[in-house]
Amino acid sequence: MSAVKSEIALPRDDEGGHSELQANDYPWLKSSSLGVILPLALAIGWELVVYLGWAEGRLLPPPSRILATLWGLTAGGELALHIGATLWRVAMGFLIGAVAGIAIGAAVGYQPLLRRLLDPSVQALRAIPSLAWVPLFILWLGIFETSKVALIAVGVFFPVYLGVSAAVMTLDRKIVEVGKIFRLSGYRLVCRIFIPATLPSVILALRTGLGLGWMFVVAAELMGASQGLGYLLVDGQQMGRPDQILAAIIVFAVIGKLTDGLIVTLSAPFLRWQDNFAGGH
Amino acid sequence: MLELHRLSKTYPNGTAALSNFSLEVRAGEAVAIVGGSGCGKSTLLRLIAGLENATSGIRRVDGDEITEPHPKIGLVFQEPRLLPWLSIEENVAFGLEGLDITEKHQRVYAALRSVGLDHQGKKWPREMSGGMAQRVALARALVVQPSVLLLDEPFSALDALTRSRLQDHLVRLWEETRMTLVLVTHDIEEALVVANRVIVLKPHPGRIDDMQEVSLTRPRNRDDSSFEAAKRELRNKLDQSLVVPKRAFAG
Repeated sequence: MSAVKSEIALPRDDEGGHSELQANDYPWLKSSSLGVILPLALAIGWELVVYLGWAEGRLLPPPSRILATLWGLTAGGELALHIGATLWRVAMGFLIGAVAGIAIGAAVGYQPLLRRLLDPSVQALRAIPSLAWVPLFILWLGIFETSKVALIAVGVFFPVYLGVSAAVMTLDRKIVEVGKIFRLSGYRLVCRIFIPATLPSVILALRTGLGLGWMFVVAAELMGASQGLGYLLVDGQQMGRPDQILAAIIVFAVIGKLTDGLIVTLSAPFLRWQDNFAGGH
Repeated sequence: MLELHRLSKTYPNGTAALSNFSLEVRAGEAVAIVGGSGCGKSTLLRLIAGLENATSGIRRVDGDEITEPHPKIGLVFQEPRLLPWLSIEENVAFGLEGLDITEKHQRVYAALRSVGLDHQGKKWPREMSGGMAQRVALARALVVQPSVLLLDEPFSALDALTRSRLQDHLVRLWEETRMTLVLVTHDIEEALVVANRVIVLKPHPGRIDDMQEVSLTRPRNRDDSSFEAAKRELRNKLDQSLVVPKRAFAG
């Protein structure tokens, strides 16, 4: 094919983006640290209230007391042990739940026959509150690790299954036809069209699944554990130590956010093509 | 050469989209297919592209029967359908497999150059205007060097100025490469600018109603009186094809 010099010059529309006068006028408004202001103000306020003796702070200890408890747990090496136990359970449960959710979700989304066969049963199982499985899992799998991991896996499975099957099912036929016109089928069509096209939804499903995983690890550890952040919660309740409960809650929040951030960071290079509203900022 | 013999397509819901359609397109010929909505234009193109199975009839390209998308046939859809996760150069390279990197790069940039976008290869589809995106789609179809290029109302979503520029551009590409063109359009002017022969379809079910050889000299001038005359003639034929026989109202 020989080249033809084009005389067509169309306006480039790559200078888009959302104008944000407000943020340009006050650069600090753009800072991501803006979100810290409210919790920090509340913490300092409560600290002052207790410090000045306006409140006792017995049921809601001031931040300094929670930090002291956290420091005590950290210095003794106890906290690392609890975090390790909880992380291991979440990691195993997430792995099993996510792999099963992706595999079955993708198969059900891709194959109408499998959808008719499996989806009604999965949806029926999904309608059962997952905590209702606890007694059965304890009977079947014992009180130790296996039942806890199984419960977390169940919690992770459903949002991942739902997200992945919906993403595959609703994939634009027109995009699939581009693959077909270049004679892609089977495995090659899946790798070159289905996986990249559904990736944003799959990542979102995994993030939702991980969130559920963190929720279920608490339930799993509340049902009887001698280690883990959930154990710290139960122990704090039984010993009447709200500072320990709050310390455990803070650690949950931090680790939950960190693991979610890990998924976002790891997936970012594969999603930089996305043309999102937020992408302009 | 493209041969279609007594091609019919009835959808599972009973809609007859195309009935006994026969057509031969010689190698290097540019044929336009026009008709009102529901006359099976797009179905016809999807059948030739191998994206759909025919209910009956035969489709051949250079003697090979078409039962699925064929390597000798390229298709430009109505919308650009660029893959948003691939850069412009990767989109163009999508259909090229089994080539070494240097050759692939050369082919991709030759195709991008032919549509005047060789400086845009590293960009993302989201950074392209509608006209640019459609030119990328054209480059993606051209890069595999098809002997037949199918175009399904490729410029219908563009503004009038961009549309006429791209029509002229397509004609220049066709003159350079002499590939066989089948252009489906509802735009009479577009059909007359591009094609040597215009086929007029009649709806319900889609079938050939009339035909018009276009012997205007190239480059064709839209303001020329002979172009205007050809346009009038084609418009009359198209109007005729859309006339519903009186007995159709009887029952």
